Amino acid sequence: MAAPGLRAQMDSLLLQLLRDLEELEAKRAALNARVEEGWFSLSKARYAMGAKSVGPLQYASRMEPQVCVYTSEAQDGLQKVWVVRASAQTPEEVGPREAALRRRKGLSRTPEPESSPAPRDPLNWFGILVPHSLRHAQASFREGLQLAADMASLQIRIDWGQSQLRGLQEKLKQLEPQSA
Amino acid sequence: MLEGAEFYFNVDHGYLEGLVRGCKASLLTQQDYINLVQCETLEDVKIHLQTTDYGNFLANETNPLTVSKIDTEMRKKLCREFEYFRNHSLEPLSTFFTYMTCSYMIDNVILLMNGALQKKSVKEILVKCHPLGRFTEMEAVNIAETPSDLFNAVLVETPLAPFFQDCMSENTLDELNIELLRNKLYKSYLEAFYKFCKNHGDVTAEIMCPILEFEADRRAFIITLNSFGTELSKDDRETLYPTCGKLYPEGLRLLAQAEDFDQMRRVAEHYGVYKPLFEAVGDGDGDTRLVLIFYKHKVQMNVLAFNRQFHYGVFYAYAKLKEQEMRNIVWIAECISQRHRTKINSYIPIL
Repeated sequence: MAAPGLRAQMDSLLLQLLRDLEELEAKRAALNARVEEGWFSLSKARYAMGAKSVGPLQYASRMEPQVCVYTSEAQDGLQKVWVVRASAQTPEEVGPREAALRRRKGLSRTPEPESSPAPRDPLNWFGILVPHSLRHAQASFREGLQLAADMASLQIRIDWGQSQLRGLQEKLKQLEPQSA
Repeated sequence: MLEGAEFYFNVDHGYLEGLVRGCKASLLTQQDYINLVQCETLEDVKIHLQTTDYGNFLANETNPLTVSKIDTEMRKKLCREFEYFRNHSLEPLSTFFTYMTCSYMIDNVILLMNGALQKKSVKEILVKCHPLGRFTEMEAVNIAETPSDLFNAVLVETPLAPFFQDCMSENTLDELNIELLRNKLYKSYLEAFYKFCKNHGDVTAEIMCPILEFEADRRAFIITLNSFGTELSKDDRETLYPTCGKLYPEGLRLLAQAEDFDQMRRVAEHYGVYKPLFEAVGDGDGDTRLVLIFYKHKVQMNVLAFNRQFHYGVFYAYAKLKEQEMRNIVWIAECISQRHRTKINSYIPIL
């Protein structure tokens, strides 16, 4: 009978779903903590440098992103999300990935390689001699970025898991009345 | 210089000294800070500040209230008081006031130049400039591309002109050079201010010179601390240290070679004034605690300035104490608005 096999599948799927949910909650709490920390470090920097020295006056209204988001299809057909620094010269996976990455960064594969200028550290918007609290803020926000990408991947997996579970439940309902 | 300020100080400056002492008495007390710390929102902060000498200074602010607006209005209030003092002053107190405003002018010039680098409009930045450092040529600062340009075209008529001697160069103003310019200007300004006070002699020199020496040394320590891990070379770093402090010359030479916090601490241990300050830092988050401890020491020195009479230091001390009060209020307001109350009591009480 297919029903016990189906039930076993449903159980393992449910367990995986619960594990993913737990991981998502943990990552969400960590992201909130990082973002809070980052903003608080910015306040500390304002205390040391002056309230108007760390604010919207210091950054341009249009800026080049330093970090890009990429998606890829993994073996089980699920999409995975990750963040890559724009200045990374070697792509994380060779092969078909390369073309996509190169296109994104805007570097051409033509014989005359034009190297784009190294992206400037946003920390330098506030001057060269910045207090360490500003560096801590930058580090907190960077960690938060990585967490956000992981959370997006997890969210995709959870949604997929939920739809799988629903599909299996439907199948089980169809089987049950027949066997009864 | 004939000593004995008590004989003739009041003729020219007695009215203003009385006024500034009255202003000093209206600084926020410990009870006011305790009330502010218990606020839940920025609106509560506004209500509590209405009961103090600040009064209805936020009455014309539109919703929503932000920390930046509170800071701007507090600065405007200080500027109004200061302008009143300045308009009623006679020489040499007027020159003293001009020296006081130079530090804000330097900050404004750097703000404008950084804004030009980020392609911001001049109007946008002018609104955020410090009102005490306002001067007529401000709007033209952003057209300059090199420090010599800046001097010849814009700043030659301003009080900042004498401080440009070490800063003249043809390098284009990028972030590194703007930072170097800021620190070199400030160094020249501090040394000139110190010389002015020393030459004036009398009680003013006795009060102001130690305060300015501490300011020079404090800047040297902070520049060193912030330069760890940056592209600033040790030689460049040494040119930024003001030389009117206790650390000059041996301490500054040792400080220029320091590569981490502990080496800096060892330099400070040679000096009786700075050893206890660094001991209070302890271990852990050294940089933020050091900044706080330096501010605390500065507040102590400025409060002590009011114990003597017949000198100009009371005006400088009042401005600096008011600045610290604004820093305290902004800190408390930020902790409230971010709902992050663990460090809310890190303000430095003044009275």
